[in-house]
Amino acid sequence: MGTSVENVTQYAYQLSQNGLLIVQPTIEHSYSLTDEGKIYAEKGLPERQLLNSFNDKITMKELQKHPLSKIGVGWLRKKGWVTIKDGIVYKTGNDSVGEDEQSLKNLNYIGGIQELVKRNLVHDQETRDYTNTLTSEGKSIPILKLDLRDEVGTLTRNLIISGEWKNLNLRRYDVTKLPRVVYCGKSHPYQRLIEGMRQIFLEMGFTEIHGGLVQSSFWNFDALFQPQDHPSREMQDTFYLKECMELPGCWESVKAMHENGGETTSTGWGGVWKKEKAEQCVLRTHTTSLSIQHLAAHPEPPVKAFCIDRVYRREAIDPTHTPEFEQLEGIVMDKGVGFTHLLGFLKEFYQRMGFEGVRFRPGYFPYTEPSVEPEVWVDGLGWVEMGGAGIFRQEVTAPFGIRYPVLAWGLGVSRVAMLRLGLKDLRLLYRSDISWIRKSPVYRPERQKSGGEV
Amino acid sequence: MAVISLPYRYLERLTGADKETILQRLPMIGSEVERVEDDHADVEFFPNRPDLFSVEGVARAMRGFLGIETGLPSYTVQPSGISFFVDPNLSDIRPFLGSAVITGVSFDEESIVSVMGLQEALHWAVGRGRSKVAIGIHDLDEVTPPFRYIASPRTRRFVPLDFDHEMSMDEILAEHPKGRDYAGIVKNFPLFPLIVDANDNVLSFPPIINGELTRVTKKTRNILLDTTGTDAKAVTTAVNIICTAMADGGATIESVEINGRQVPSLAPSERTVSVRECCDLLGIELSAKEIAQLLEKMRFAAQPAGKGNVRVQVPCYRADIMHDWDIFEDVAIAYGYDRFPARISETFTIGSAHPARILGGTVRAILAGLGFLEMMPFTLTNERVLYDMMQRPRSSLPLRIMHPISEEHTVVRTDILPLLMEMLQANRHRELPQKLFATGDVVEGIVTGQKVAGVSCHASADFSEAYACMDALAHELSLVYSVAESSDPAFIEGRRGDVRVNGKTVGVFGEVHPAVLNAFELEHPVAAFELDLTAVPGYCVPEDIP
Repeated sequence: MGTSVENVTQYAYQLSQNGLLIVQPTIEHSYSLTDEGKIYAEKGLPERQLLNSFNDKITMKELQKHPLSKIGVGWLRKKGWVTIKDGIVYKTGNDSVGEDEQSLKNLNYIGGIQELVKRNLVHDQETRDYTNTLTSEGKSIPILKLDLRDEVGTLTRNLIISGEWKNLNLRRYDVTKLPRVVYCGKSHPYQRLIEGMRQIFLEMGFTEIHGGLVQSSFWNFDALFQPQDHPSREMQDTFYLKECMELPGCWESVKAMHENGGETTSTGWGGVWKKEKAEQCVLRTHTTSLSIQHLAAHPEPPVKAFCIDRVYRREAIDPTHTPEFEQLEGIVMDKGVGFTHLLGFLKEFYQRMGFEGVRFRPGYFPYTEPSVEPEVWVDGLGWVEMGGAGIFRQEVTAPFGIRYPVLAWGLGVSRVAMLRLGLKDLRLLYRSDISWIRKSPVYRPERQKSGGEV
Repeated sequence: MAVISLPYRYLERLTGADKETILQRLPMIGSEVERVEDDHADVEFFPNRPDLFSVEGVARAMRGFLGIETGLPSYTVQPSGISFFVDPNLSDIRPFLGSAVITGVSFDEESIVSVMGLQEALHWAVGRGRSKVAIGIHDLDEVTPPFRYIASPRTRRFVPLDFDHEMSMDEILAEHPKGRDYAGIVKNFPLFPLIVDANDNVLSFPPIINGELTRVTKKTRNILLDTTGTDAKAVTTAVNIICTAMADGGATIESVEINGRQVPSLAPSERTVSVRECCDLLGIELSAKEIAQLLEKMRFAAQPAGKGNVRVQVPCYRADIMHDWDIFEDVAIAYGYDRFPARISETFTIGSAHPARILGGTVRAILAGLGFLEMMPFTLTNERVLYDMMQRPRSSLPLRIMHPISEEHTVVRTDILPLLMEMLQANRHRELPQKLFATGDVVEGIVTGQKVAGVSCHASADFSEAYACMDALAHELSLVYSVAESSDPAFIEGRRGDVRVNGKTVGVFGEVHPAVLNAFELEHPVAAFELDLTAVPGYCVPEDIP
């Protein structure tokens, strides 16, 4: 027909929008190996190659010489093929050929295909085919089209200044027809939601803070009284960097706090606190690392600060997990603030976001006491957990000379986004389909997509 | 996280309440009910409350919380007459030992499972994977006191649990499944920890494996407990939690003499807390008497002590009570989180947005005005996308992650344009024209900066469009700049320009090179630009670290 597939699809789409054509799509998946996938299909998955590269055990140091160790070691552990103790890697013997490996050898075997797609070893190509049928209205169009009259289509400059327009018969438009589609330039729906949240905190008188993605373990963990042997500090959960950062002058009071509780009524964690561990850099695992630095710089009351920014966790990507995501951080420090005020700020925020039902359950975070987990009511889902909050422990605030309670919260933003934007897959926020953004309206009536009344 | 299995029959018997009441109220003491099955529920408890990692511990807490039995549970400890010698040579290896004798045990399936589950959960939460504390539970009637905890040659042989022949300790580390799992904790020491009885029979090779000799079965009536580790407090905590759970299950606890001291004592510790401090922190008014009553519900002993204080006795199993505020949290839990009023504080402050965020918002408004659509790609990417597909030489600037989880995410982005090219690729079946932009953080070395990039993809996208957009953006940002011919290989030679400010290149624009278009599987020309926002006049760097 001398036109592109895209154009035909587009015309058919427009006809169906006008009720002239019925378009019925059929979707088929075809799987093909990516470049990386092709290599592994031939040589085996990196973890398989690694596993085959040694006998019963091997030192981690030796194993790391293998070119595939960076990718493979994590998978070896995840699949339970090896255990690692004190730098030695041992085979567990539980290393039978997995679903993913069968699929890699034979793409028609779909058992492990999704796993391979997730690892980007297999490309999932969606083929859409369309069956088009004219509606009765569509069939009547060619007859109407014959009804042509002598009219002028365009009002030109010449017609306007010459006065000729007075004698014109300008062509009439059919206002029952749908308009030509134009798309607005605009910010991302997720960004607009974030802007809405920023607005709420700015209106409540909070100062916005901002800081580096790279933080020392000191500010990310130690200043928040997370013991150096705490499981959440392990490399399975945190993106560690080989770079180090110098510690601030107050590090010795933080050390004392960890070891014996410093000058507070606390016992501390006991044991020996190591400076070198605190110097190692990480991609910040929470924006609380920025809050504590803001407090250290502004130890006198009152302080109300917030930020909504990206944080990192070492998680494999799936519909509900991404290695980076946004966190909403807030702190209030003042004379006379307490637990009821913490609940007050949380409730106010969620109600302004359109969640009428808000409740609180006990929680646990190493740096707050008391700790609380806020939940909001969502029709069809029930009570949904929204993050964590609490009052900073004195072990956190005392080393920085902060004398009054600090109310603090770290809330999930992407979870609210999924609820508000009606998404089921978190990844779409970061790798978006532009037709979704084009169609997503800039203005949404308040509370349209949120919890509603309990 | 510790998920504990609670069999209803045993739980109901120990608690004295029906399972519906227990399951409904459990979340309000700090837990999450994960699964409700026909005969049991799996409940997740927080890592700061290892005393709740057993049915016995949960029942004890719920009896208080539900008002069935409040106040401090009392535990009596009689001396067993058994002593334990600790070898001074262990001081650099695994110095601390805790122990107890538990008599009158009557194990059935449920109580054995509960104890084994508790042991495993404690290894995780208190023992940090056995490195800090390891726990051994032995059938006392198979061995002869006194016992010795010694540093032994690695060639010493005995029959480890689940095996039927003798092995040397070195062989155990190499061949026994538990040996392989935990070898890392001890393998660098010249001598290994070992527990033996008066006749030199081996009870245990901590923290690796017990001997087969003292295996616990349903017939076991008397138990010897050992905990060994590198932290005195953690070793004691583990003993206290196991002993109190077994005592609640009906057993009797007897002490053991270690280096002249009788352990465990299972005695509470004491703290005097301020009523005023508690009320201020929680924001509700309570009297000393009310605070004491609430704490009794949480199984503390508490009474008003005058001068606005409450004297609190903390049960020996509550290892999480480090500070007075830990006690106040228990007051809040007993009061009921659902009963707290939510108030707005009167703290008066004037709000202000961060300059970097204001700039970001301005950039979004400008580019939306130019018809661009915002994307929010990841900041994590890889050098293939960042450099190779862009035909740009690899650089030492990007920050490398030490243990990436996939080949896709190995570095933090230094530029945003390559990620927009990926977005065009992902959307290549969508309607043209496509005009996309993204703005946000980039990292060079360890310094976080901000950039903005835009792409316009359609049949007539060209250099002049890229230049026009860049010029409009710079103009709206009050950025005075000059343009020099660029050598950026991502663009077509003769159709690319560098944005120069104060003699420094701070941006680039032009027509994307066809080889780059091929790499991203694009079939139409792309006009593109990228600008370093830290070059914008008055750009505010993040606040200084004190």
